[in-house]
Amino acid sequence: MAEVRYEAASRIYPGSEIPAVDSLNLDIEDGELLVLVGPSGSGKSTALRMLAGLETVNEGGIFINDVDVTLKPPQDRDIAMVFQNYALYPSMTVAENMGFALKQSGVPKAQRMEQVREAARILDLEPYLDRKPKNLSGGQRQRVAMGRAIVRSPQVFLMDEPLSNLDAKLRVQTRTELADLQARLGVTMVYVTHDQVEAMTMGHRVAVLKDGILQQVDAPRTLYNAPVNRFVAGFIGSPAMNLVDTERIDGSLNAIGLPIELSPGVAAAVAAQSEPEFTVGVRPEHLAVGSEGVDGEVSVVEALGSESFLHVRVQHQGGETIVVVRESGQSDIARGDRLKISINGPVHIFGADGERLAD
Amino acid sequence: MSTAVTDRTDTSSATSRADEVKRLERREGWKRRLPILPALIFTILVTQIPFLFTLFYSLTNWRLDTPDPREFVGLENYGALPDDKFFRDAAWVSVQMTVMAVLFSLIVGTLLAVLLDRKFFGQGFVRTLLITPFLVMPVVAGFMWKTQMFNSTFGVINWFINLFGFESIEFATRYPLASVVVVLVWQWSPFMMLIVLAGLQGQDQSVLEAARVDGATSFGIFRQITFPQLRPFLELGTLLGAIYLIQVYDHIEVIVGGQPGAKNLPFYIAQRSIGGGNRFGLASSYSIIVVIASIIIANIGLRVLSNLLEDDS
Repeated sequence: MAEVRYEAASRIYPGSEIPAVDSLNLDIEDGELLVLVGPSGSGKSTALRMLAGLETVNEGGIFINDVDVTLKPPQDRDIAMVFQNYALYPSMTVAENMGFALKQSGVPKAQRMEQVREAARILDLEPYLDRKPKNLSGGQRQRVAMGRAIVRSPQVFLMDEPLSNLDAKLRVQTRTELADLQARLGVTMVYVTHDQVEAMTMGHRVAVLKDGILQQVDAPRTLYNAPVNRFVAGFIGSPAMNLVDTERIDGSLNAIGLPIELSPGVAAAVAAQSEPEFTVGVRPEHLAVGSEGVDGEVSVVEALGSESFLHVRVQHQGGETIVVVRESGQSDIARGDRLKISINGPVHIFGADGERLAD
Repeated sequence: MSTAVTDRTDTSSATSRADEVKRLERREGWKRRLPILPALIFTILVTQIPFLFTLFYSLTNWRLDTPDPREFVGLENYGALPDDKFFRDAAWVSVQMTVMAVLFSLIVGTLLAVLLDRKFFGQGFVRTLLITPFLVMPVVAGFMWKTQMFNSTFGVINWFINLFGFESIEFATRYPLASVVVVLVWQWSPFMMLIVLAGLQGQDQSVLEAARVDGATSFGIFRQITFPQLRPFLELGTLLGAIYLIQVYDHIEVIVGGQPGAKNLPFYIAQRSIGGGNRFGLASSYSIIVVIASIIIANIGLRVLSNLLEDDS
């Protein structure tokens, strides 16, 4: 049980000028499942490896339970880590893999076996305790990697894309099992993924990184409803938010031919900005097909069964752009159809610097 | 009626189709075999046919130093082997020399590989330097060690010993077997180092990281994680090293000459035949024994090795 704190922690790889992780400030509460998410090269794995002690922290510090662990080797941090490729010890059986950490800390064999059995019971691994990792399926290997972490009851669990090597169906199933396990054990967990769906479904809070810089850390819903900048708005949500670049004309904004209604606060911010460029963001579910609105032509229909996504080609400031509209249920609309779309939900406005304009 | 007709045509066309497939498969087989045929014929010409000659000579009393005609004596040469003290001694030297040289070069090679398997400035240069002993010609290596290292008057080792007030030792005469083994280890450690290094660098880095997170010490990681994974590489090194080191001749010739203490089977065979013994029939029977022993050892080694590799895939 532990709190984790990054204090302006930076990692600069030798031979590189640009930090892979740039003054990261992050507070992770006891028992929290915090997800680090970002595109590849965003520094999310590096941030995790800094906490594990596998990467040097060049500036700043890392604290576990207010103890400075910045310069401590991994074995002195009381953490457990699950790797993307599981990193099981190939020459050892499942039981030996799971008991390895206990063996290193000198736990007697009988007690070790008891703890391994207990973890194996939780993870349904009991029939496989005598097998070698190569004789296990991908999902079983993943569970052994989990088991190896659970057996030690460490202060913090670190997960480095633990589900990326599983097939789609198993990934969804394991995702919920993992979140459930974390809640049952009540442990602090830091979870790295590039998959924003995983981040949104699992995380108590989600930290979005880009180019080594923390963009926003918030509860999934806040992240979705109030992204702090253009990057977060485009990264969180599937399919992505429609982002349309537009210009201020006579103090008001207009996107794809639709006038944008602004709250007084935002209107003031729009008027205050010296550059005329803005980005208007609308989520697909906040666009509606109806009898009013602007004309568009359907170019692609993605029918998922419970919902459909229409890719609609519309006129925008003298050119063409494509916006995605969500239709709930099954739609009879087909490619080539002409229809009218309008906005029926919240609109996000980002300034010329990409930052969200305050409501 | 009509069904019967269709059936018959189906069967006949199916047969001709099967024939065609068989023909294509045969052709494909030859396409693969043909390019390797010249190499195969060459190998048979230079290894298998001489072997058959040797087998034949070993059943005769052929010697060059008497004008007597070559006579077929059956297994007489082989029958005399168990009572031949020189043969038994040479065989024992062969075993000792091979086992010691392989074992020590494996140990030294592994230590060097572990040291090389980490990033440091000048790593490539150091690696090349460490490989050089393997590139030295055996005869040159033998002379170098004999005259510059072991020699009691000019040798570096004796100069060093003298510094501490000890008497000079004529190593090659006092300890012939050990002297040869030292030079063999010096030459073969780089070979073992390269094989073990390949094994070390093929390791999954995240497994080592996982072990660090799990609290293992550096030595613990080597003993519990790295070493078990190195086994197939150590087996390969042992097998290849044994095959080469059982045939050592040059080092013995140069460093200790015909001293009984360091006379292995290849050296003894040469001595009894082209080296002045002129007893080609007898020497041929020794050769056959060496070949059979080598094949048995190599087979056991290969079987162990392939089991291990299969086990890991």
